[in-house]
Amino acid sequence: MTDTRRRFETQVLPHLNAAYRFARWLAPSTSDADDLVQEAILRAYRGFDGLRGADAKAWLLTIVRNCHSTALRQEQRRALVPLPDENDEQDGYALIDAGPDPESASMLRDDQRSLEELIARLPEDYREALILREIEDLGYREIAAVTNVPIGTVMSRLARARGVLRKHWLQQTEGESRAVP
Amino acid sequence: MLCPESLRVQAYFDAEVDVMSALEIERHVERCAECRTLHQALKQLRADLRRNLSPLEIPPALRARIDKVLDAERDTSSPPPTQPERLSWRTRAFWVGAGSGLGTAAIAAMLAVLWIVPSPTTPVADQLVSAHLNSLLSTHLIDVVSTDQHTVKPWFAGHTDVSPVVADFEPEGYKLIGGRIDYLEHQRAAVVVYRHGPHVINVFSWAGERSAVPGNTTRNGYHLVFWTSGNLEYCAVSDTGWDELLGLVRLLKDRAIQEARQ
Repeated sequence: MTDTRRRFETQVLPHLNAAYRFARWLAPSTSDADDLVQEAILRAYRGFDGLRGADAKAWLLTIVRNCHSTALRQEQRRALVPLPDENDEQDGYALIDAGPDPESASMLRDDQRSLEELIARLPEDYREALILREIEDLGYREIAAVTNVPIGTVMSRLARARGVLRKHWLQQTEGESRAVP
Repeated sequence: MLCPESLRVQAYFDAEVDVMSALEIERHVERCAECRTLHQALKQLRADLRRNLSPLEIPPALRARIDKVLDAERDTSSPPPTQPERLSWRTRAFWVGAGSGLGTAAIAAMLAVLWIVPSPTTPVADQLVSAHLNSLLSTHLIDVVSTDQHTVKPWFAGHTDVSPVVADFEPEGYKLIGGRIDYLEHQRAAVVVYRHGPHVINVFSWAGERSAVPGNTTRNGYHLVFWTSGNLEYCAVSDTGWDELLGLVRLLKDRAIQEARQ
């Protein structure tokens, strides 16, 4: 094992699970998430010298996010030419990205919807701020670096994400308790 | 109507404010019903998220696939930088602190710590006393300000591999005031900070490899009590008397036993 590989294993790979979790939230399907993580790790390895003193976790998650944006742009370019088939796999995107906005989502009255699904229905900007804070436990500064926005924006996105999620979660849990006779 | 302080309350909840602001916000939350509700809601949502979201881990097959891809990269990877490994770890520890900490003050404090902390070859007792002194002199006493063990403990989970016993013992006179990360014995140590009267007690914990811990000792007027629990080594450091310090250690040991039973 080369020295670079060893350093990569000790500094970056401990965050592999975080990268995988984040990818699962970003990518439309599990297999897309697998490809996304693999691509991100490869890019991270090739650009490992770029890590220098930076925090490895935030650095790796930034790469995952960039890979996702690139993949998304490529998909969109491809999608411009032919109309997608009815059973085209890209339909998966609609579930997450072009889904109903949070307001109308709450009208669906799906009592079985889990917290996870409610998060998936948040607008992507809100969702990633929430995930990075609550699940990956990044600080505001790190979230700002990963999502490439000012800290103030991180704070307001987090506040909105939490507000919307809480509202829908309460609606659902109240709905459940009403459903129980 | 949204209280103009709501974003600050959120920042307080996320442990992103310094000690002085934290006190200010706590006072505000006591007075403002809306912010009290908000703070409660934030706590509740976090608890619900923790309870409902299953911790996802990378599937072994994907892990194996990635290893294979990295193996194939071996020949083309760039040569290792000339920088020695220990230095890179130190700068990394700095950035971890900077990224998670309290802003510029924390960065300045971390810089100070990095200059003052003795080389990792000095005995652990000296490292501990230096870390304790630095925490008192600089503003780097606390990274996460909270009197709530349920805030401090998960915070550690995101910042170090060490998961120490965290509990408030205010009725017994040891008030939990927060936690921080220090660099000890070549690794990130979790530090739980207590206040006992006018004294600060730092309880360091790190993954231990030694079968025998150092004996209790006194350096420069500071008492150090060492013990092990689970796979962790602990050391409590303070300028309190021996009895007071041992009192906290006893409480922590009892708590560890309780937690192990659960």
